Amino acid sequence: MEEAMIELLARRAGLDTALAEFPEDVAAAAELASASVAKMKPPTDPRAEPWPPMRIGTGL
Amino acid sequence: MATNAHRDRAVTDLHWMTATEAARAIAAGELSPVELMQALLERIGRLDAKLHVFIRLDGDAAMDAAKAAEAEIASGRLRGPLHGVPVGIKDIIDVAGLPTTCHSKLLIDNVTSADAVCVSRLRGAGAIVLGKLSTHEFAIGGPSFDLPWPPARNPWNTDHHPGGSSSGSGSGLAAGLFPMALGSDTGGSVRNPASACGIVGLKPTYGLVSRRGVFPLSFTLDHVGPMTRTVADNALMLDVIAGYDPLDPGSVAAPAGHYATGLERRIRGLRIGFIRHFHEEDMPADPEVTAALEHVAGSLKERGAEIRDVRLPTLGEFAAVNRVILQSEAWAIHGQWLRERPGEYGQLARRRLMAGAFMSAGDYVQAERRRLGMIAAVEGALREVDVLLCASAMDPPSRIDDPKQVERTYPRQARTPFNVTGHPALAMMSGLSSRGLPLSVQFVGHYFAEATLFQVAREWERAAGTENKHPVVS
Repeated sequence: MEEAMIELLARRAGLDTALAEFPEDVAAAAELASASVAKMKPPTDPRAEPWPPMRIGTGL
Repeated sequence: MATNAHRDRAVTDLHWMTATEAARAIAAGELSPVELMQALLERIGRLDAKLHVFIRLDGDAAMDAAKAAEAEIASGRLRGPLHGVPVGIKDIIDVAGLPTTCHSKLLIDNVTSADAVCVSRLRGAGAIVLGKLSTHEFAIGGPSFDLPWPPARNPWNTDHHPGGSSSGSGSGLAAGLFPMALGSDTGGSVRNPASACGIVGLKPTYGLVSRRGVFPLSFTLDHVGPMTRTVADNALMLDVIAGYDPLDPGSVAAPAGHYATGLERRIRGLRIGFIRHFHEEDMPADPEVTAALEHVAGSLKERGAEIRDVRLPTLGEFAAVNRVILQSEAWAIHGQWLRERPGEYGQLARRRLMAGAFMSAGDYVQAERRRLGMIAAVEGALREVDVLLCASAMDPPSRIDDPKQVERTYPRQARTPFNVTGHPALAMMSGLSSRGLPLSVQFVGHYFAEATLFQVAREWERAAGTENKHPVVS
């Protein structure tokens, strides 16, 4: 992920303090996220449902 | 201090007594819970400065509870199957009156007013809480040296990592500081220290044990599990802590397990699916790990089990889905603190917990959609067999003082698949490496079929005598 994109996303997430004090950690977190998403193979079937599903209930 | 030597010993020392033996002896009036507590507190006093198992030892309260238990039992009142037996609690789990710090500066003064449901159930059965045990910060990351407390060390060799995040639980059990502990498991955190410390750790079926009162890491991946030195103790502990909790939205009303009965049933005719591609293709394991797994499979076959090869999605696919779900849910939990107080986290936790800020809602939903396919794959495999056998860790425990080695070996494991799918999974010792460090095996079962897992694990324990293998610590 490019530095400018990392900064944009970090600021959008409200991580201004972390960006100022721990820029290397913010960059490492962004890389970790990119790597995780890149290795995931999403289903190709558009009807594939997520788990856990919505279940009706009475609440707690 | 630690050596890589070990010895097999008859269980005569009080600190090596199992929970089952202690409970039976206490109930029969043959052992005083005060005597047991004194022995353990003496051992903790001698060893904990080297092992760093406890974040907070509640010794006075534990001794008071042991005296009360002794008086109750003498008057004929037995509270339950664990009356007078000490237990350690991972410090992300609430114990009334004690801080739940999550091993973090952020929660250093977080004194809780009520027991977590799992702790309440243990106390209801008569168990005595010894104190709160070290973990990775908020149960994520790895061994960190920038936190208010040092990381726990492996009693088989204190230069090595005891696994995590339930590090204190695994280390304390292996060192004979207590016979039972509670851990939590989101990506393998019960089974990792069980593997590294040569003890027994179970991640139960999702929903079997209440998570209420446990600090969350990832709502749909978090499990609470029993950690012990023997399979029988694990079953006994699960009998106590399992049960429906209407105030935990993930809790399931499952039939009572009666896990501690039927342990001695033999496995003749059981079908065991061996997932070899996890450690042979996906993440090629250390040769000693591979040899030990083959030995376990061969031994179970000799005892009448049928061993078949089974294939599942790759470990890389499971790990990616686990990470996207975990990091997204953890960001939802920690986002506000990371915005306002990032400096109060240690570096490892800060990096991992911020990752969710860089994922989209779409990423999270895609991971949850892929998850359903993975559940179907494991369920499909389990239609053909009764139990799955696979690696837990791909390597012997790493050195704790070598961050690169820790980072390299930490993801080399086959535990996360069953957090993604929610199936029960048990890790235990498969043998010892040439350097005297524990190696491990994992058994995975049908939903709510923990009894069958215990049956297979007990057969292996009986064959290998793993319950009598302890590190020499002094």
